Amino acid sequence: MFAYTVRRVIATIPVMAVVALFVFSLLYIAPGDPAAIIAGDQATPEDVERIRESLGLDRPFLLRFTEWLFRVLQGDLGVSIFTNLPVSHMIQQRLEPTFSLMALTLVIALSFAIPMGVLAAWKQGTWIDRLVMVFAVMGFSVPVFVVGYVLAYTFALQLDWFPVQGYSPLANGFGGWLSNLMLPAIALGSAFIALIARITRATMLEVLSQDYVRTARAKGVGQRSVLFVHALKNAAVPIITIIGIGFAALIGGAVVTESVFAIPGVGRLVVDAILRRDYPVIQGVVLMFSFTYVIVNLIVDLLYTVFDPRIRY
Amino acid sequence: MSTTTLPTDGFTPAPELADVLPPRKERSRLGMFIHRHPTIAVGGFMVIMFILMAIFAPLLGTVDPTALAPAKRTRAPSEIYWFGTDMLGRDVYSRVIYGSRISLIIGFAVAFLSAVIGLFIGLISGFIRSVDAVVMRIMDGIMSIPSILLAIAMMALTRASVENVIIAITIADVPRVSRLVRGVVLTLREQPYVEAAIASGTRMPTIILKHILPNTFAPVLVLATFLCASAMIAEATLSFIGAGTPPIVPSWGNIMAEGRALWQVKPYIVFFPALFLSITVLSVNLLGDGMRDALDPRMAKRI
Repeated sequence: MFAYTVRRVIATIPVMAVVALFVFSLLYIAPGDPAAIIAGDQATPEDVERIRESLGLDRPFLLRFTEWLFRVLQGDLGVSIFTNLPVSHMIQQRLEPTFSLMALTLVIALSFAIPMGVLAAWKQGTWIDRLVMVFAVMGFSVPVFVVGYVLAYTFALQLDWFPVQGYSPLANGFGGWLSNLMLPAIALGSAFIALIARITRATMLEVLSQDYVRTARAKGVGQRSVLFVHALKNAAVPIITIIGIGFAALIGGAVVTESVFAIPGVGRLVVDAILRRDYPVIQGVVLMFSFTYVIVNLIVDLLYTVFDPRIRY
Repeated sequence: MSTTTLPTDGFTPAPELADVLPPRKERSRLGMFIHRHPTIAVGGFMVIMFILMAIFAPLLGTVDPTALAPAKRTRAPSEIYWFGTDMLGRDVYSRVIYGSRISLIIGFAVAFLSAVIGLFIGLISGFIRSVDAVVMRIMDGIMSIPSILLAIAMMALTRASVENVIIAITIADVPRVSRLVRGVVLTLREQPYVEAAIASGTRMPTIILKHILPNTFAPVLVLATFLCASAMIAEATLSFIGAGTPPIVPSWGNIMAEGRALWQVKPYIVFFPALFLSITVLSVNLLGDGMRDALDPRMAKRI
């Protein structure tokens, strides 16, 4: 197990290196002159030259990349063109709302999706099953920000159950934190619920047809115990795999959700940076989120052995 | 002895089959198809309706979707302005109808381009081991960047245009197709019929084109359909946060982006494009689901 963990950790290094190289090369791959585009339409030639220098576009690619990589490894993501503050600092200040949103979304998504998937598999072919599947297709098809607006309009504007927009830090009390994040988390979770419910149903159907489930039933194990203990335990690996893969969509969705609900998180930071063409900030956020995604999937890989002791490496 | 009159030795003869079985339903070929694949039929029909709507946009009672009328701004939906007007007095109905063109163009272009490029990369890395190691590391790397963020980074470096949105979304999607194709190729090349072709001296290009390529079409078609749907959402998302098509273009994402500031008081500006986008994406997803189940139920695991 230890050797496997070490091997898996080492295996993420080339992936992260490719991510860094790709994100860095975007400046060079982009058609046209990125310095001129970042500077904007009203920029003087001096402005463009200054930005070109600050991005290091005037120096050779490999030299620039090595320098940049070493600084990234030390946690230095460069300096914002707009505020002149270190990007890593700007991101750090906005981590709490984003991670709060993602954590609550995961909790909500899992507590809805898994029972839904199990129920659909148990009642396969009935209207309950069909209802879950219809919801699954809808969840994929309706964009996160549309769900967000519908929820905000109904439950915040019309019914006044939740605040319309904004964020209240956890330090100011759990109640305010939760009521502010509830609608954003449900909106962000809708696609995720669909994804997980679908996989749970498919895997459960497969597991329920296995011999040991029949044996469990034959020896008189109750329905609930069969579903949630015997079957769900064996369906865990595909479910956590899809959570890992779906995490990318969760990150992308968080960026949009934060814009809809005016949550001052990392996603909002990147959206503001687009309008200001503040590329170092965008680059920093993309790197941070991509590394998070790689690490989440590393954890998922390591969890396999916990959930399924039959997997040995 | 005749076959119609059975010997009556105390037994009642069995009734003729026609009396027992219900009469066979006569279905046309189209009827058969709809009966067998309802999801393809519903999804396909809705997609065709949206394509017709995009093509015949000028004939559907629309006015110029970019025409400004500041005096008539933010009108509520009425008989003249079916979906109301936006902040600059533009007719939201016309913008939504014309917006279907942008969504469909971007969806189809991304699906087509990523399918073609992904097929090419996947075929090569499935066959050439040395290329495979390098290419798949690069693909893993790109897939590790959440696709919306990758597109945001690319759009921040280029001028806003429909072409650049297509390129940005395609780059994020190519690895998904090439991974799928590579997987199919690796399974196929171990098949006896491919081994036989190699043993009988068939040249590599012929094997790839005649024996491998046709077998990758079905899964690629299904994946491309899903990519088409997700590209429509991606375009709307990018435009919504200001990193997509230029604001002058009446795309569904742009209409919603403009309605954003007013959504609490004039929710209809956001509502109508959102509704159209959701239904279009839903129809394309239904079509994809149906095709996947029809072509190969086992594929559900891979896509």
